[in-house]
Amino acid sequence: MEYAIETENLTKIYRDRAGEVAALDSANLRVPKGVLFGLFGPNGAGKTTLISILVGLQLPTRGTARVLGFDCVKQSLEIRKRVGLLPENYGFYEHMTAYENLEFLGRLDGIPRGELRRRIDEVLELVGLKEWANAKVKTFSRGMNQRLALAQALLKDPEVFILDEPTLGLDPQGSAMFRELMTRLVKEGRTILISTHLLHEVGFICSHAAFIRKGRIVAQGNLEELAKQYREARGYSYEVVVQERPEDLLRELRQLEGVVEVGLENNTIRVRASRDIMRELLGVTGRYQVRSLRERAPTWDELYQFYHGGGWGE
Amino acid sequence: MSEKVAVIVRKEVLENLKSLRYWGLIVLFVLLFVAISAAIGSAIQGLEAPAPGRGRPATRDVAELRLIVLFVGSLSSTMSFVAPLLGIALGFSAIAAEREKGTIRLVLARPVYRDQVLNGKILAATILIAIAVFVSTALSLPISATLYGVTVTADDLSRLMLSLIPSILLALAYYALSLFISVLSDRSSRALLYCILAWIFLTFVLPIAASMIALSVLGPPPAIALNRTSATDVEIGVTVTVADQLPPQLEDYYRKVGEITSSVLIISPNDRYFTFVNALFTRRSPQTTSYVDLGSIIATRWVDLAVLAAYVAVFTLLSYIFFVQRQEVR
Repeated sequence: MEYAIETENLTKIYRDRAGEVAALDSANLRVPKGVLFGLFGPNGAGKTTLISILVGLQLPTRGTARVLGFDCVKQSLEIRKRVGLLPENYGFYEHMTAYENLEFLGRLDGIPRGELRRRIDEVLELVGLKEWANAKVKTFSRGMNQRLALAQALLKDPEVFILDEPTLGLDPQGSAMFRELMTRLVKEGRTILISTHLLHEVGFICSHAAFIRKGRIVAQGNLEELAKQYREARGYSYEVVVQERPEDLLRELRQLEGVVEVGLENNTIRVRASRDIMRELLGVTGRYQVRSLRERAPTWDELYQFYHGGGWGE
Repeated sequence: MSEKVAVIVRKEVLENLKSLRYWGLIVLFVLLFVAISAAIGSAIQGLEAPAPGRGRPATRDVAELRLIVLFVGSLSSTMSFVAPLLGIALGFSAIAAEREKGTIRLVLARPVYRDQVLNGKILAATILIAIAVFVSTALSLPISATLYGVTVTADDLSRLMLSLIPSILLALAYYALSLFISVLSDRSSRALLYCILAWIFLTFVLPIAASMIALSVLGPPPAIALNRTSATDVEIGVTVTVADQLPPQLEDYYRKVGEITSSVLIISPNDRYFTFVNALFTRRSPQTTSYVDLGSIIATRWVDLAVLAAYVAVFTLLSYIFFVQRQEVR
């Protein structure tokens, strides 16, 4: 598989009077090209440090990192030509207008003057700030600032987006706009790395993810791969929708080998098992009036709790 | 100059030209210049009449002194106060405020080298300082002409233009020092505090320290009665006639004091500026109206410019080292 972002034993140690703190501890991250990748972890897990190293804002203490094949230390300029970054704790020049800020940043991106005007109009339209183009940034709300931050990342039409807590401060309408935009960009073939701890905002649009804890990547892959590890530890969940109360079916399900729990809620039977019992379930339910049978995949929230809540790797 | 540097220069220059802080300092210069000119002007008026209680008329032609006293005295006094503040105002927030507000993250996320960011800021500051110094000096001419009827000869004007160089260097010296402090700081308020402390040290503490060192080395002046020295003469710096009247012991004592304080104040950018600008307007002798030629001034006072330039070079270099190489990728 071809990776847009790849790190190997990436380590960043901060030294101060109190001693050494490893913000990143041999992190191995692999982000495939053309996917929407979530980097999930609580505050202080090392997400921002990792992103800072990827775009050359900081040097790693050890290890290597490559973005689009370019080394983050030796070729960081090449990376910054191709990556649209929305950093955490960013700021704009408040006495300048939204347009002037984008013009300044766009010129630093090396976008030719003529093209830049068109691009600024486009990105301001995309993030819903076109009417505010000539308003000074100091008059902007937190959400408008976040939209403008997204606009500056879009400006050079990059191959890779690295977005640190992109939905922070966005209202529901803004979050919806953001998700729609991200989905569209991935369809166009861009790679997007979103770092966040707000899974309910963006988790469900990610096809791949990595969980970072105390500077280490504890798990990564697509939803299916991550769910597999979850299932192996927490068991398998199934949902059987029936037409009428099936006392016999419930009894039969409880007798299946590996079944841990069977519950009924309205017309839905929830089965939890310690192993994959799909084949047996098909056999049993085939004899009853069953509307549907499906394995219930864990949600990103459940996976987050699993990988960060002590269910994994402790 | 690379395009990226030009973009930063343009933004920085426009940003400051629109700022109240920048024009406020030029207004401060004008007000201070008028105040100092008025003070020196009234001192000169005092020379026309016999000094109270002394019964001795002034020994120098007042009209002849006006140009030197008003221009050199007022201009260099005002400039030595305002130019450092201008340098500090442009430098203290250059990097620290960008860090504090997070704007530096958006800038450095672009394909731009860190030294280009610093190049842009330094170049912009040089342009802004040059504009401010030129405008301030240019404003001092009509003010002096209006208030005191000062007439400027071509030679005066050329020397006045030449005085722009040490003025710019003085402001740049403080800018470079402030930039270095800014590079080391995460908060602009903290950077400003350290810059002000550095300015207080170099402007007020160092001259006092120099005098104290001289006093501790030489002890108190010999107790000799001064019957013939006009206090007013000393105040306005007409030391030529005063020195002639001093008893040899006192003359020797003050010469040594001067040597020691000069040695200590060699590191003072304010003193170097002041000394050089005053040298530009030094006359060949008290009896003549022509100035010492520029070649002789440069030959004897080059060290003043060298010290100012050294401040700029050393602190700029340190800023580059710490900003570009300390912890982050170039």
